Amino acid sequence: MSEQDATTADIGPDPLIDADQRPNALLQVRDVTKVYGTGHTAVTALQTATMSVEQGEFVALVGPSGSGKTTLISIIGGLLAPTTGSVHIGDIDVTALSRKELTRFRAERVGFVFQSANLVPFLTARENLLYVAGLIGSSKSVARARADQLLEELGLADRAKNLPEQLSGGERQRVAIGRALMNDPDLVLVDEPTAALDTALGRQVVQLLGREVKDRGKTGIMVTHDLRMVEYTDRVFQILDGHLTHVESSTGAGH
Amino acid sequence: MNTSMMLATAEIRRGRGRFASVVSALALIVFLVLVLGALADGLFFGATGAVRSTTANAYAFSSDAEGSLVRSRLDISDVEKFAQVPGVDSAGPVGVLLTGGEGPEGELDLAVFGISMGAAGTPNTLVSGRIPEPGEVGVALADQQLDQFGVRIGTTVSVGGNSAEIVGIVSDTSYQLQPTIWTSIDTWRAMRDAVRPELSGEATQINAVALTTSADLGDIAAAVDGTNVLTAEATGLAIPGVEQQNATLNSIIYTTLAVSALVVALFFALLVLEKRELFASLKALGTPTSRLGWAVIIQAVVSSVLGVIIGSIVAQLFGLVIPASVPTLFRPETLITIGVFTVIAGFVGALFSLRRIARIDPATAIGGAL
Repeated sequence: MSEQDATTADIGPDPLIDADQRPNALLQVRDVTKVYGTGHTAVTALQTATMSVEQGEFVALVGPSGSGKTTLISIIGGLLAPTTGSVHIGDIDVTALSRKELTRFRAERVGFVFQSANLVPFLTARENLLYVAGLIGSSKSVARARADQLLEELGLADRAKNLPEQLSGGERQRVAIGRALMNDPDLVLVDEPTAALDTALGRQVVQLLGREVKDRGKTGIMVTHDLRMVEYTDRVFQILDGHLTHVESSTGAGH
Repeated sequence: MNTSMMLATAEIRRGRGRFASVVSALALIVFLVLVLGALADGLFFGATGAVRSTTANAYAFSSDAEGSLVRSRLDISDVEKFAQVPGVDSAGPVGVLLTGGEGPEGELDLAVFGISMGAAGTPNTLVSGRIPEPGEVGVALADQQLDQFGVRIGTTVSVGGNSAEIVGIVSDTSYQLQPTIWTSIDTWRAMRDAVRPELSGEATQINAVALTTSADLGDIAAAVDGTNVLTAEATGLAIPGVEQQNATLNSIIYTTLAVSALVVALFFALLVLEKRELFASLKALGTPTSRLGWAVIIQAVVSSVLGVIIGSIVAQLFGLVIPASVPTLFRPETLITIGVFTVIAGFVGALFSLRRIARIDPATAIGGAL
């Protein structure tokens, strides 16, 4: 689908889709369907999902396990190709990129925060940040300065030389946030960030994420099954059995 | 490449324990292969020195001898015939006698070579002393290895009551793992007749003719009836057991090197299996598969190089304590060859992991546990 189609499709709201349409939003997900398998073993994981998220917005994607939220965020992050539909980030049509281009796209434009941090166990906190800078060929001195600054801002300055095993769960997740922000991406995708943390720590991490996304003008999407965490997000999308709906009820970030 | 190096070296530095296992396995293999190589070299050099360390580059045999010095029977008059063949610069008689003898400190096992001093077939590895004059009788050259039995310049070695004074020491001239003495064809014949009286009638018999030549060996053999001619190298290989030993030991060595490739392949296959989740997340973060592959290759090469270094140090130390009676020879050439092959084996072993790495799906980095 071209840019032109994307804009004209906005004029008349699609009655089938209860998701808002924001023509100038940074992230545009249009009619994304994902079907696994073929014939009568085919399973539709995602049914014509449409969503837009603006720059500086931090939204939650909630739903029970198996609902399709992992599929959706993987498609947005360029890890999975949709069966039909398109994903645009700014002027990039993610669904049109080759595998090689997707690898580059993820390194440059997307910051991932995984469930259990998934830091490189044999690299220090600082090196974990420098690693992703190396992927896009940043100059060493610039990368070092940025890594130190990020670690400082995330309250990890004195943990920079520690290996992940020497860090607490919360600290690891903060390093993962630093890594996600390291290459100054457009999009920050967060997958169940509180899965390995207790409630209090989980709240701190999500609050920090929300603040970083907003302050830095990123577009953030957090997948969570924990409804207590949505209070730190701007809006909430829900997925049930592959159907994406926009729920109005977020109390807004920071409350 | 930069990020590959970072991943590869940081993991080795911070996971020394686990890499120590593959490095020690490789070091043991390298040690084993080097000792086998030293044994192969020792046996080869010990068996063939007498035909390698001389001025001859070819040997003529009786055609029924199949290149065996001891089996060959020629006549002293053949030397002159070979010398007449165009392209032959020098021809000299060779008489061989495997026997026991008497040295300054008692009995010795010896190979006595009768030659015409200065002609083709004279040892060219003089360490000290002098080469006897042509026609000089009652004198001999002795191999350095006889030093351990007290044989030195000025001492006497006798065979069957015929004694020869040692006037020069040569090196690397063993024949069939026996130390040698080199004397005139007449002194050799006197010794032969004393220990093998049944041959005493054959006053003109010699074993072979040593040649220094640039002519075609087939043409030379054709010029003298009932002879065939082999290069010095082929003569060495025709010594009974030499080729078989080489083939056996080399096949053990190359099989063992293949095992080292398998060890590396298995180790890194396990390591990659264990790091599936990490590699998936690194791919999700935008790491191209090639960089993860390079990281594994770098680790395999670094492990192999460390294995080669440690293994060769251990092998050298082992070489110092090995009894002198075991024919081993540690040659830098063999060390370099085995080292290079081990590193190549490590590299090849790592290649087996590449497909596994390529198959890891970055999408599995998301949504794992829940």
